[in-house]
Amino acid sequence: MSLYNFVAGPLLWLSFAVFVIGLVVRIVTFLKVSSEKDKILYQHFNWRYVLLTFARWLMPINPTVAKTPAFTLLVYVFHFCLLVVPIFLQGHIILWEESRFRLSWPALPHLLADLMTIVFITIAVLFLLRRALSRDLRLLSTFSDYALLIITALPFLTGYWVTHGTLDAILSRYSIQIIHMLSGELMLVMIPLSKLSHFVLFFFSRGATAVEFGRRGYSV
Amino acid sequence: MAEETSPKETSPKEINPQEIMDFLKPKIGARFKTWLDICAHCALCADTCHFYLSSEKDPNMIPARKVRFLKEILKKKGKVDKAYLEEVYKTIYYECNMCRRCTLYCPFGIDIALMISLLRATLTSQGMIPEGLRKAIENYKATGNQMAVTKEEWVDTIQWCEEEASAELVGLKIPIDKKGAKIMYTVNAREPKFYPQDIMEVAKIFYVAGEDWTLPSESGWDDTNLAMFVGDAKTAKMIVENTFKRAEELEVQQVAITE
Repeated sequence: MSLYNFVAGPLLWLSFAVFVIGLVVRIVTFLKVSSEKDKILYQHFNWRYVLLTFARWLMPINPTVAKTPAFTLLVYVFHFCLLVVPIFLQGHIILWEESRFRLSWPALPHLLADLMTIVFITIAVLFLLRRALSRDLRLLSTFSDYALLIITALPFLTGYWVTHGTLDAILSRYSIQIIHMLSGELMLVMIPLSKLSHFVLFFFSRGATAVEFGRRGYSV
Repeated sequence: MAEETSPKETSPKEINPQEIMDFLKPKIGARFKTWLDICAHCALCADTCHFYLSSEKDPNMIPARKVRFLKEILKKKGKVDKAYLEEVYKTIYYECNMCRRCTLYCPFGIDIALMISLLRATLTSQGMIPEGLRKAIENYKATGNQMAVTKEEWVDTIQWCEEEASAELVGLKIPIDKKGAKIMYTVNAREPKFYPQDIMEVAKIFYVAGEDWTLPSESGWDDTNLAMFVGDAKTAKMIVENTFKRAEELEVQQVAITE
């Protein structure tokens, strides 16, 4: 088996497995531990507060947006691109069509996908600079805060190289594709294993605090 | 104020890592674990904190920074020294008053105050507790109120207040232990001790409003709960239970608390 086939085959399966199973474990652990040690959440559970808090924080209608508009706008755009580009990229959908699953769905226009990729990478660089230059951020940041930002941005950067042949003069197209797949797999694996687990835990943390704050009549 | 005593003189015992972990472990629920794991260190909480804003933006006052102690203690399995815990003490008592404003602005809704409260409880378990609060808690345990007012003093104060207030509003009464009253009124124990005027003012309002109210003579009349501030859940529970017990005995419909 060639390196390419290994990275595109078994390693991809493995990283998807870690991603999915890891997140399921995260969710099950939260539910199990909370049922024993956070009983208050169940005693006062109320979908009204929970759904309201999801709506307010998934959309820019919360006090933090009003207080820090520029930064939060970038955060929303960052997350939007992060979710949309990999799923609706033509090049990815073709792979799904050719796979055993034979799945297909509408793709983003190339130009828009390119634009979103560039915007995403630019914001990632801004976030990295913000973290490295601000006195407050530097104090709070650990190695993993920097590393995870880079890990999240790498699939976009390498994906851009693949699409545009930026590094064709230095590396073969195959090598760049392998690097791109590896970077994507690394990000997938890191999601359940790091703070990136907020991918699902966001909903549990926000929901839990909404239950506690809602019952006291605070803003959720 | 007495509360500002250094913990040094009030914490004679040695730090016991096993004891710290035995105390903390059962309390680290799903929320604490999640919050410690997902905090993105984005610093959006920084300028929501009045301690940060009023300390020329001292980065150590960033709420997300203040709870690093919880993560560190768990990581070190409780193996920390006295000097470390004194640093924790300084932060959790004098650099956070658990107002929860940071949580209102945290995109993840991380409840910093709840973590600070857990740290206070942990320190309490190691005997590190502000002297003023320690005394108050002893008083609650012994007398049911934070100022150690005896039942005789309490009833005597009410009767004296009634006498004074009725000189101004003829016919005014302060009903004690009136079964079936609509409202059971509770006070801050500092009122009978230092500010009986407050009790008189309230009695006048109730009288003029024509309310059916009463004061309990037995413990449960102090509605402050200082045990809560040091994370002493057992005493905090006892204080609340006393009030509920009195309300049930007197068969009142409502419990009102002082301002």
